[in-house]
Amino acid sequence: MAGYTENELAKDLENQEYKFGFVTDIESDTVPIGLNEDIIRLISTKKNEPDWLLDYRLKAFAIWKEMTEPEWAHVHYQKPDFQAIAYYSAPKQTKKYESWDDVDPEMKETMKKLGISMEEQQRLTGVAVDFVMDSVSVATSFKEKLGELGVIFCSFSDAVQNHPDLVKKHMGSVVPMTDNFYAALNAAVFTDGSFCYIPKGVRCPMELSTYFRINAGGTGQFERTLVVADEGSYVSYLEGCTAPQRDENQLHAAVVELIAMDHAEIKYSTVQNWYPGDKEGKGGVFNFVTKRGMCETHAKISWTQVETGSAVTWKYPSCILKGDHSIGEFYSVAVTNNYQQADTGTKMVHLGKHTKSTIISKGISAGKSQNSYRGLVQINKGAQHARNFSQCDSLLMTDECGAHTFPYIECKNPSAKIEHEATTSKIGEDQLFYCMQRGISEEKAISLIVNGYCKEVLNQLPMEFAVEAQKLLAISLEGSVG
Amino acid sequence: MENSNKLSQFSSRFPKTEIEGLLPMGDMARSFLAENDFPTTKVERFKYTRLAKLGNASFEPSSDEWIPSKSDQQICPDAIAIYIINGKVILPEMDLPKGLSIDFISSAKHLPFSTVKDVFAAMNIVHAQSGVLVKVDKNVVIEPVIEVVHVVSSAYAGFTRNHVSIGENSQARMVLTYVSEESKAIFSHVHTSVEVGKHANLNIEKVQMESSELHSFADEEVWQDANSVFQINTLTLDGNLVRNDLHIQVIGEHAETHLNGMYMLNGQQHVANYTTVDHRVPNCVSNELYKGIMDDKSVSVFNGKVFVRQDAQKTNAFQSNANVLISEDASVNSKPELEIYADDVKCSHGSTTGQLDEEALFYLRARGISEKGATQLLLTAFMSDVLHKIVVPEVKEKVYEVINKRFNWELSL
Repeated sequence: MAGYTENELAKDLENQEYKFGFVTDIESDTVPIGLNEDIIRLISTKKNEPDWLLDYRLKAFAIWKEMTEPEWAHVHYQKPDFQAIAYYSAPKQTKKYESWDDVDPEMKETMKKLGISMEEQQRLTGVAVDFVMDSVSVATSFKEKLGELGVIFCSFSDAVQNHPDLVKKHMGSVVPMTDNFYAALNAAVFTDGSFCYIPKGVRCPMELSTYFRINAGGTGQFERTLVVADEGSYVSYLEGCTAPQRDENQLHAAVVELIAMDHAEIKYSTVQNWYPGDKEGKGGVFNFVTKRGMCETHAKISWTQVETGSAVTWKYPSCILKGDHSIGEFYSVAVTNNYQQADTGTKMVHLGKHTKSTIISKGISAGKSQNSYRGLVQINKGAQHARNFSQCDSLLMTDECGAHTFPYIECKNPSAKIEHEATTSKIGEDQLFYCMQRGISEEKAISLIVNGYCKEVLNQLPMEFAVEAQKLLAISLEGSVG
Repeated sequence: MENSNKLSQFSSRFPKTEIEGLLPMGDMARSFLAENDFPTTKVERFKYTRLAKLGNASFEPSSDEWIPSKSDQQICPDAIAIYIINGKVILPEMDLPKGLSIDFISSAKHLPFSTVKDVFAAMNIVHAQSGVLVKVDKNVVIEPVIEVVHVVSSAYAGFTRNHVSIGENSQARMVLTYVSEESKAIFSHVHTSVEVGKHANLNIEKVQMESSELHSFADEEVWQDANSVFQINTLTLDGNLVRNDLHIQVIGEHAETHLNGMYMLNGQQHVANYTTVDHRVPNCVSNELYKGIMDDKSVSVFNGKVFVRQDAQKTNAFQSNANVLISEDASVNSKPELEIYADDVKCSHGSTTGQLDEEALFYLRARGISEKGATQLLLTAFMSDVLHKIVVPEVKEKVYEVINKRFNWELSL
């Protein structure tokens, strides 16, 4: 491939279609489009919810109506028309599957295309997959095995029915409905999501994972995830997303709440590959997500994300380090290409003594995309001996893209040590030359360098995810170098 | 027209400007003012600065009858000194070196069009009463330091506008001194626009030593042409509420920009340094180093922005902010930003916040140095790389003198 030039590579990439763009032809049960109290009541009734949850939704809706969309992010897009969205869409079959064989063959096909064949996953990897297709959980595996340990891993609606006390106690405790515009919207109209509870002292024996997928045209996806790790427990939670190709923008406004009680540890990994829009910047998913974790004493929350998809990303997985000696980590690779825009980062709020946080963010911009890191490190007065290290690097692939860094550092305690560093550059010509001089093609050399650049983050991912993430990275960037 | 908001109430107390060079910007500034209110902490640029006290303050903009008496506050005794006392300009009486002209701002027919980022900058355009115009011709080196001494006293509140222009191949050194004579002055906003010509070299030492109740705003907006070198050292030694906004527009290739700053705060002081370096053309270098020490209940804000436009390939831009907190109640807010649209660039920023290294302190104390002495030594060492950037020796002396007095130290050069 010696004659393969950058321009050819760039062309190839432009022509590359979204590999996961297909629509599953399953009848959807969709409520009328629009948003008002009646729709919320309808969703609540359809889901057979208790009154307190309906009240919660209505209260959130009232708050949302008073709020305005945030405009501070470094992104530009046509604001979604919230009245033109169908807020509920569930695959028609109401029957729950007893075994994997009962599942609609077409659905199985979808999963195969996504590369998450369930049989294979069950057998080979020991990953329990809670497959969310348009808001309703279709199949849950390994439930029994987890049940023996007392681990609850189910869809959010099941949790509302079967574990109302846990849900009622923790829901909204980390991301209150008043938090922001999209969190309020989610609180009002969320349809489903995942719920996970790890009892005291239990180390969850397998990695829990959920695949999200936006399916029916014109439906928004409003997921809600709640992970509660009780004292001394450990859980690794994986979340991965791919979405089919759509022309109009789709809205995804999820809320993820993590609660790590004393000495508990939660590892939350995301690979996000929603449809990013075509090479003209048409279509694509709006990903406006609120993710936050609460750390009690000696607890640890670690966010790892590989963001390659979505037309517009607005996402700040955060940690509130409330307990003494708690630890927050954030590892991120964000790749933008064509007309994608990403404004992502984290917030580390240090409240307890001896709290530690680490932020490693790697941004890669290609095409005409804009990629921003926006982060907050806040050391509050009582956070004696808090420690933060942040590193935000940006790699620019073309002369038409942008890479931006907006770190906020606020310190109110003299014993804190905060370090922040950021660099922006393109791939070093000397590095490329070194590789090519040793007989590695330009394309391979670039992929080698980019992979090395992201290694710190990819290393944090669980094995199965790391493989997928590397593939995604390669797909997203192939030949985008200018 | 909205007349009821707090901003128009505040603004209406100042007379309209009669400076001819500002009139073309008037419409832009007025429409900016019409769209905004008096800033609260909800406005991003004022996130950390509380101005309610200023909004409610009672003051009388100085009347025309008031005649200032000459003051003796300049730092450099041999400098060509221009005094601006409560907004009134006193031009130097000495003979000026060849190639240098100093006049009232009102004599400027044309002033560069400003970028307005906040309501105070907009109000300056609408309300500035006076200021000085410093002009250096082509191909001259001005040996003596040009010092502009801003003095405020009594219940002063007002806007001042200065303009400096350095011709091609010329060189000059300036000191901008900010002092207050009484502790009652309320509000001062000084905007200085600077044009640095091709191959010109300008060094500015900005020394802020105001005290008391004063809300001091001092903006500099700089246009740098090709191959020019510009350095500004912002030395905030005292003050109540100080906001500096430094905006550099690099419009000619191969220009070099150096921004350095130091701030030493105690009591309830609040110092905010906003800087923007806008790289519009290729092959330029900018370097930024801000260091601060915060004691007591002081608050510092640093917001540095490096903007690299798509055409500005081969830009090297570096930015660094380091802070030491030496009391329980001090706080620091740092926001070093990069906004980059060109790929063949090297840009980086760093920010650190911490305290003095205990091991270093122990090392010094083990060698018989008192705790106070060891602390001073380490803090001076921390500041030294900024102090070394000071070009005018008298300024350096002044910095040590003020620090020693305020913090009861015994440092020597």
